[in-house]
Amino acid sequence: MSEKILVKGNEAFGEAAIRAGCRYYFGYPITPQNELIEYMSRRLPEVGGKFLQAESEVSVVNMLYGASCMGVRVMTSTSSPGFSLMQEGVSYIAGAELPAVFINVVRGGPGLGDIQPAQGDYLQATKGGGHGDYRLIVLGPSTIQEAIKLVILAFDLADKYRTPVEILADGMIGQMMEPVELPEMRPLDALPKKPWALTGAKGRKPNKITSFDLDPYNLEKMNLRYQATREKIITNEQRCEEVNIEGADILVVAYGTVGRIMKTVIELAEEKSMKVGLFRPITLWPFPYKQLEEISKKVSTVLTVELSGGQMLEDVKLAVKDNANTPFYGRMGGVIPTPEEILGQIEKLVKKRREV
Amino acid sequence: MIEDKFDTKIFGDNKRTFAFVGDFGSGKTEIAINFALLRKALGKKVAIADLDVVNLYFRSREHTDYLEERGIRVVLPSREYRNADVPMITPTVMGSISDHKVDLILDIGGEENGIVVLGYLSEYLFKEDYEIVLVINGRRPFTRNEEDIVELYSRLREKARGLKINSLVNNTNLMEETTGKIIKEGEDLLKKVSKTLSIPIAFNSVAKGVDLEEVNLEYPIFWIKRFNIVY
Repeated sequence: MSEKILVKGNEAFGEAAIRAGCRYYFGYPITPQNELIEYMSRRLPEVGGKFLQAESEVSVVNMLYGASCMGVRVMTSTSSPGFSLMQEGVSYIAGAELPAVFINVVRGGPGLGDIQPAQGDYLQATKGGGHGDYRLIVLGPSTIQEAIKLVILAFDLADKYRTPVEILADGMIGQMMEPVELPEMRPLDALPKKPWALTGAKGRKPNKITSFDLDPYNLEKMNLRYQATREKIITNEQRCEEVNIEGADILVVAYGTVGRIMKTVIELAEEKSMKVGLFRPITLWPFPYKQLEEISKKVSTVLTVELSGGQMLEDVKLAVKDNANTPFYGRMGGVIPTPEEILGQIEKLVKKRREV
Repeated sequence: MIEDKFDTKIFGDNKRTFAFVGDFGSGKTEIAINFALLRKALGKKVAIADLDVVNLYFRSREHTDYLEERGIRVVLPSREYRNADVPMITPTVMGSISDHKVDLILDIGGEENGIVVLGYLSEYLFKEDYEIVLVINGRRPFTRNEEDIVELYSRLREKARGLKINSLVNNTNLMEETTGKIIKEGEDLLKKVSKTLSIPIAFNSVAKGVDLEEVNLEYPIFWIKRFNIVY
């Protein structure tokens, strides 16, 4: 670990990717993640990498497809409308079983929306934004230090399972600054070998990478393989953080920026002699259903707080079942609730329960 | 005990136009706001103009109410354009530069894209005794060593249409993790830069609460309040 520096989230995403061994970045500008593109345009040439600004997000995603076929670590970043535009290519990458990392610094939507932080792309990310039967691994960082860790993990998981991975961030994580420690640079020759890659077939059987087969039985076989990978990921890769769970008066489920705000809420609640527990999913897909289910048996209320109209809430309900009430509090359009505001919601719920 | 008296006339008696420039995330906005508050405390009429046309998140227009409550005029685009993702300079800025009754603090956007704005205002600024201050945080990527800072300076000069950068400010910090040692490191770094570029160091900016007992800073200390909100 090196000495600490002060970085913006967007810069941290870029530097973490480079330290994970990413040398190919393709992008198209969109607020609030432009610092990331700018950072890569400056840093990649310094480390012998390639930066290319494409003419649109559609080009970007297909460049990623092509570069990933070569067996190198590739990444792009965008924000909500830009990621929507990439979806066809994301589906192709999933179908072709190619590793690639996408960073979505989510902004207010739908449509053109605005450029403030939001979490309205949860369903797109976790349930499949493109066509066909695939899932992305989705990671939700709540601090910049964690974002660095998760970007590196994203590359490792992408290679391990040959799957696209999405970092689901938001404008707040992208824009805020935090002192961080950066990990050492990963030597390129220490990265996982990719015998499936298209590196020239001289002296070996040609490799084929495609998401296409006209024979339905063959295509079903491919789909069964995708499903087997999906099962492995579900079994091995669920991650979450649990804070203050034992004896909590109420449990809050929140991810990303809201997960971060919740740490302050917990402290404020303690001053008022309330114990608020936090369950923060780090893998949004695979969602840690089982862990949440177990915890939900110990409380009567599981409040979900999101910067959306209630998207992760659906996963929370699948996990909690009938173990507890599952109320929701959300802000939209790029509005971020203050810790006091969230505490107000919690107080109302705790009071209501005490009255019952 | 550290002497925390700050020479409020640090940039001379007559200047009334101060522009803060630097790489993005260097802390320009915070220093601009704090400097505006300082001039106000001297009994001056003060206006601050947010000319950050690049970054729409953490900048002085977010702190409008705070500043206006303290009698500082905030020059902003009209309300309907405040969150627009478009580069624009409100014409009132030119008016404020020419208004000799007011101290004008300019909060300039990050990097060379930001300083283009200053270049655009150069014909108004040249008529005034202006001060352009380059703010450096030695713990930011791309301004961590002398070579990078000198390169940043050259890039800024290219876009500034002949405007001169008059002084340097050491704003080396890690936000709430800042120590006296970190500030001293930054001062040492800027001393080298100052020698190479022949530009004086104006001051060290230090957030209130940072312990400076263990270090010996050579340049004046400007105690500032940090404004960026982190939950």
